Amino acid sequence: MSKQPSSMCPAFGAVRNLLRMEDAMPIVISSGDGCLYGHTFVAHFYVANRPIYSPGVSSEIWAKGSAFDELRSMVIRMAEEHQPSIIPICSLCVSDTVGLPFDLLPKQIGNTEVIYVPLPAYSVHTHARAKDIVVDSLVWRLPPQRKARAGVNLIGEIFPSDPIEIDEVLRKIGTHVNTHVPGPRWADYVAMVDGALNAPVHPFYSESVKRMKMKQGLPFIEGAPVGVDGTYTWITSVGRELNLDSATVETVARQEQAKVRAVLDQRSLDGLTFMVAGYEGHEFLLVRLLIEAGAKVPYLSTAVNTNPLAREEEAWLAERGCKVLYGANFGDEIAALTDRPYDCVIGTTPLCAHAKELGIPSIYYTNAMATRSMMLAKGAGDVIDLVRQTVGAKVRYDRIARFFAEDETRLERTYTSWAPKLDLTEHLIANQAL
Amino acid sequence: MPVRENIQEKELPSDVVNTPIRKQVTDLDHAGGDTGAMQVFASLSDANVVLDGPVGCHVMPAVAVINYTDSVPYLQNVTCSELSETEVTLAGTLGVLKEKVGEATVAGRQVFIVSTPVSELIGATWTTEHAHIPGSAVFFDSHSLDDDEWKSRDRALLFLWQNRDHFVRRADAPPRLPKLRPSVNIIGPTYGNFNSYSDLAEIKRLVAGIGADINLVYPFEAASGDTKHLADADASIVMYAEYGRSLAREVGLPTFFAPIGLEPTTQFLRGLGKALGLEAQADAFIRLEKKTTLAAWHDIWRSTHSDFFANAPVAVIAPPTYKDGLTYYMGEELGLPILYSAYRTGPESAPNEEVRKALADASPSPMVVFGSINERMIIAQEKMPSLFFQCSFPGAVVRRATGTPFVGYAGAVWLLQCICEALFDTLFANLPTSAAPPARATSTTRDTMLAAPESVSTSGKGQNSVINWTDEAKALNEKTLKRVPFFVRVSVAKKLRAEAEALARERGSDVDAGIIAELTARYSPRK
Repeated sequence: MSKQPSSMCPAFGAVRNLLRMEDAMPIVISSGDGCLYGHTFVAHFYVANRPIYSPGVSSEIWAKGSAFDELRSMVIRMAEEHQPSIIPICSLCVSDTVGLPFDLLPKQIGNTEVIYVPLPAYSVHTHARAKDIVVDSLVWRLPPQRKARAGVNLIGEIFPSDPIEIDEVLRKIGTHVNTHVPGPRWADYVAMVDGALNAPVHPFYSESVKRMKMKQGLPFIEGAPVGVDGTYTWITSVGRELNLDSATVETVARQEQAKVRAVLDQRSLDGLTFMVAGYEGHEFLLVRLLIEAGAKVPYLSTAVNTNPLAREEEAWLAERGCKVLYGANFGDEIAALTDRPYDCVIGTTPLCAHAKELGIPSIYYTNAMATRSMMLAKGAGDVIDLVRQTVGAKVRYDRIARFFAEDETRLERTYTSWAPKLDLTEHLIANQAL
Repeated sequence: MPVRENIQEKELPSDVVNTPIRKQVTDLDHAGGDTGAMQVFASLSDANVVLDGPVGCHVMPAVAVINYTDSVPYLQNVTCSELSETEVTLAGTLGVLKEKVGEATVAGRQVFIVSTPVSELIGATWTTEHAHIPGSAVFFDSHSLDDDEWKSRDRALLFLWQNRDHFVRRADAPPRLPKLRPSVNIIGPTYGNFNSYSDLAEIKRLVAGIGADINLVYPFEAASGDTKHLADADASIVMYAEYGRSLAREVGLPTFFAPIGLEPTTQFLRGLGKALGLEAQADAFIRLEKKTTLAAWHDIWRSTHSDFFANAPVAVIAPPTYKDGLTYYMGEELGLPILYSAYRTGPESAPNEEVRKALADASPSPMVVFGSINERMIIAQEKMPSLFFQCSFPGAVVRRATGTPFVGYAGAVWLLQCICEALFDTLFANLPTSAAPPARATSTTRDTMLAAPESVSTSGKGQNSVINWTDEAKALNEKTLKRVPFFVRVSVAKKLRAEAEALARERGSDVDAGIIAELTARYSPRK
């Protein structure tokens, strides 16, 4: 069984965000038809109704070295014909291993920027890292600051209404949202250099923010306005970093914090145990909300790499009895499902499939969670409502599980009728330490 | 489409790479060799498959895509060597591969190692082929840099046969029953094959119907140890012409292809009956089918539904089996005009841009486009009035209920039913009147009469009940109507006229080209 938690091909994290840019025309240099088919299939399923362009590849093409010439003429043709704002060149495993001379591509054709985005998936490892690479590659192309800096750059995929809600709060303390990436337009990225502060709301945009600090001198803060503690801490961090009026900041932060607390008080998850596994980076924020709503989460399994931006998040979770497992062994996770009365699983497709087999209510992280807001009071309410709705369907999940287990000798696999000899959750946590 | 028996040399996939050298690919429509091979091996009940590649080469086909082609949460018997930069640039894949193969080697399971583009690129193929890997694992070079999924499936099936003596039947496998009746092999499907669950169920029904037994459904309902028993049958049925032919030829039994359409199915049953010495049973079954399964077909055929067929044009873009089968069934047997048809995958695959142009320029537009998500996008992007019916991957779909076959008599009925439903949908979408609630009366009849100017010439634009149409508007209207399937053209014409004149009245103008353009955007290609 795979040690790497099952996520998509890591590179897809980047391809996906680039395809969602309306004025970009990404070229995907695939490793082969199997690779390209996978990316095209899932992209057309849930990313965008638009063509995916690739240069043809084969062993003959690689051997002859004709790939680069074809790529160059393709780039020029596409730029002249369609004049998009940017043509990102997504270079996956094989083209990056072969080492095409991407430096020799024209940087600019008319108004079109041609930007190389290195995505050798065997080195990128995670979805999250690929998203970081996109922001980093795109922003690296920009000239340094052009005008007086103001406002906060939000970095990370969030619900469409989140930037508006956050902007409203920031205006109360004397600043605003400057731009939000990954966004649908090149202009969203261009605006970044004019912001005064970077706020990566998911803990994996470390390369992007570090390099922007280096090149553009733009500071950054950690965390996100999620949950009781998170909301307060985030608002005060913005205030401190931008030297805003501290009394006002304190008042607003307390107000927003109280709103979140009120929402969570009405939606208690007391006494419920959750298993959470994600690969998007949102999972840190989700677990925060679950815990603050009263739930027990023994561990958080994430396919995001260890990241300096996640350190505080990790410490906060640890204090509340939740261990962060980077790349937990999938087989162990499935085993852990059987020994504790988990009330709900929020995880990857395979993990949820096993949970459903056992009659445990579960939802696929990406489909259900990544499409919700989590920020501030409104987001907290949304997410916890969804979770409560899922847990409430226990009877239905049980009924189906029992029906399909009838002919099986493994009926006792459900925790409800099986006394554990070994606490597999403890075992998992102990053996998957950093 | 005649039923074909036995496999000719020229029908086998060629030894040369079968993916043409392409300069540019837009919206690729087929998977690569590693995926095809993985889908063959993973179909065997006792297989553990190790893909020699980075994690993406595993999760894309075996977790992400499989969930939307086969509605399987993920393939539990597939893993990969998880190559990282160390292996790619320095160490080679053998070390990690051995480790993974070791994990996958458990009693009663046969391990298959499959190469991927990355391992092939760094030359790991040769090393793996010649290395000593403990256990009984076998290595399959999937030619993934060059071959597509179809050729790879064909090669992988042949590979299984060539290695049949290597594979061991599990001790706990049910004993093979003594042969009481003539039996057949069903070769194919594998995972990742559009609609195969229903097609397989129908072929099994047909085989049982003529009184024959199923020897093996290979590889989908078999274990690797069963491979050598392919020879025990009296005939083979290849489910899809795209793959399995090489295996069928090597096994050497009379071979039949799953039929699409009425006549092909009848020929198939008679041919199979003859090969198995069950001619009388085959004839009796055909007679019984006419009174049961096909009674529905005959009823629909005799209804007014079929009156529309000659004016209900369709387009078919699919892999060879479905493209040829659907074109024959709909075009020759039902009499629907086939406006355009093309192979969606394989060496003769039509480039996406060619398909786009053919579909967008078709006049009239097809009533239904049978295709993949690529065609679905073309319909949306070119604003075609056509309905979409999926008959190919790529494109997320659930086809696990076994009542949607394309092959056999049941397939003929199911397809006919779908075509009729498409007719009804098209009619409904183009009904000329949809006044619910009806428009309000704004004045009495008498006042309406008095308010109306006397003639068009003195009317003030658009005030009269007779609205003037400019020449440009008429021309554009004509052009638009030509794109609409003939049998609803009257309805569409009425609807357009009513809408155009209502708009003209509202604006106090003639019906001009602007109004028509506005209303017909939904029927017109993007410009």
